[in-house]
Amino acid sequence: MSGSGEVLISVDSLCKSFGEQTVLNGITMEIRRGEVIAIVGPSGCGKSTFLRSLNLLEQPTGGTITFEGTDITDKSVNIDKMRQKIGMVFQHFNLFPNHTIKGNIMLAPVKTGLISKAEASRRADGLLERVGLLDRADAYPSQLSGGQKQRVAIVRALAMNPDVMLFDEPTSALDPEMVGEVLELMKQLAKDGMTMVVVTHEMGFAREVANRVLFIDDGQIQEENTPAEFFANPKNPRLRDFLSKVL
Amino acid sequence: MSAIQQWFLDFGDSFHQAFIEDDRWLYLVQGLGNTLIISFFAVLLGIVLGFLIAIVRSTYDREGKLKALNGKHKFSNGILKFLNGICKIYLTVIRGTPMVVQLLIIYYVILVSVDNKIFVAALAFGLNSAAYVAEIVRSGIMSIDVGQFEAGRSLGLNYRQTMVHIIMPQAFKNVLPALANEFIVLLKETSISGYIGLTDLTRGGDIIRSVTWQPLLPLLAVAAIYLVLVMVLSFGVGRLERRLRNNER
Repeated sequence: MSGSGEVLISVDSLCKSFGEQTVLNGITMEIRRGEVIAIVGPSGCGKSTFLRSLNLLEQPTGGTITFEGTDITDKSVNIDKMRQKIGMVFQHFNLFPNHTIKGNIMLAPVKTGLISKAEASRRADGLLERVGLLDRADAYPSQLSGGQKQRVAIVRALAMNPDVMLFDEPTSALDPEMVGEVLELMKQLAKDGMTMVVVTHEMGFAREVANRVLFIDDGQIQEENTPAEFFANPKNPRLRDFLSKVL
Repeated sequence: MSAIQQWFLDFGDSFHQAFIEDDRWLYLVQGLGNTLIISFFAVLLGIVLGFLIAIVRSTYDREGKLKALNGKHKFSNGILKFLNGICKIYLTVIRGTPMVVQLLIIYYVILVSVDNKIFVAALAFGLNSAAYVAEIVRSGIMSIDVGQFEAGRSLGLNYRQTMVHIIMPQAFKNVLPALANEFIVLLKETSISGYIGLTDLTRGGDIIRSVTWQPLLPLLAVAAIYLVLVMVLSFGVGRLERRLRNNER
C-alpha cells in the first residue's frame, strides 16, 4: 500500500455496540502521516461511527486506538489535549451561531490556551483569506450559504493546527452546486500534505484524491485498496454490489 | 349639585382618606420597597441555584448514563448520580407543594430563630423559584443540537468551556421568554408575604383597607403598581431579547 510516513493512528480490533446492536465489529487499520483515506459503504454500515470513534466522540466498547503513540481509549488520557490535534468536520457544519465567523475560528485556539488572542486573530484572517471569506469575518453563520459554512468549519478545525483531519460526510448536506467548492478546498488540503480520513459518498473525490479507499459493511472493513484497484477490480461481492448502485 | 360633581367630591374624600390622611401612602411605599427587595434577592438566588441544578441535571442526562455504560470515571460518576438524585427530590418537593406552605414552614419551622422576615421571604421565594428556573434552563440546554456540543469537544474544548462559551449562551437566549415569565410570576407571588406578618405591597394596601374600611382605592392602587412593575419588566426583557437576536441575523 502507499504511505511511507510514520504511523499516526493505529486502530486495533475496534468494537462498538449500542446495547444489543453491534455497529463496529473488530476494525484494525493504520493511518500514516500524509495519507488521505476515503471510507465508503452503505448507510448504517458503521463508517460514521468508526470516524467518530477516532476522536472518541463515540466511546469504543472494545479495542484500542493509538494516536501518536498514546492509547487514547485509556481512561487516564486527557482526551481534550488529544482532540486538539485531531480536527473534525461535520455533515451539518455545526458552526456556533452565537459567534461571528472569525469568533468561530478563534474560540478554540484562544480558550484552550494554544495561542494568544492577537495571534489567533492573525491566524483566523489568514485562514479566511485562504478560503476567500475574509470579507465575511464579522458575519454570523446564519448569513452564510451552506458551502461557505462548511469551508469556515474546515478552517475552524485547521486553526488548531491539527495533525489529522476527520471529515464526516462533509458534502452530504450541501446543495449540489456547493459541493464543488468544498471538495476543492479538501483537495488543496490533501495536496498540502494534510493527513485526512474522509467518510464520503463522493466516489469521484475518493478516486481522485484518496491514497486508499476502505469499504466498510457490517461493522468490518470488507475491502481496502488503492483507488484504481478499488474501483476497477472490486473483489468483495458486497463491494461490487455497492459500486454497481452508486457508480 | 350635579351627580358628577358629587362623585368627584366623594372620590376626593375617599382618596384623601385612603392615601393622604395619617400619611397612609407610606404603607404602600414601604410595602413596595419590601416587595422589590424580596423579589430582587429571590430572583438572584433563583438564577444561581436554578442554573446549578440545571447543569447537574443536564450533565447527568448527557454524560452520566453514557459513562455508566462504559464504567468510566466511576467515582465522579457516582457523585454526579448522587447530586442528580438530590436535585430531583428537591424539584419534586418544591414543585409539588404550595408556595404559601413552603413560606410558612421555612418561617415557623426551619428558621424559627431568624427575626429578619425579609430575609426569610427572599430565601423562601428564591428556593422556590430555583426549582422552576432549573427546569426552564435544563430544557434550554437540552434544546441545543448535540452537534454544537460535539463541535466544541472535537476542537479540544473541555466540558466546562463548551458549556460556558457555546451551549449556555444559546440556551439562555432560547429560554429568556420563559425565564421572564417565571420572574413575573415570582414578583406577583411575593404578595403572599403577609402570611408571615411582613408588610409587602399587598399587605400595605390591605392595612389601609382595614383601617379605613375602604377597599376600592387601596386595592386598586396595589393592583396598578404590580401592573406597572410587570410592564416595566416585560419591556426590559423584550429589549434584551431583541438585542440578543440581532447578534445573529
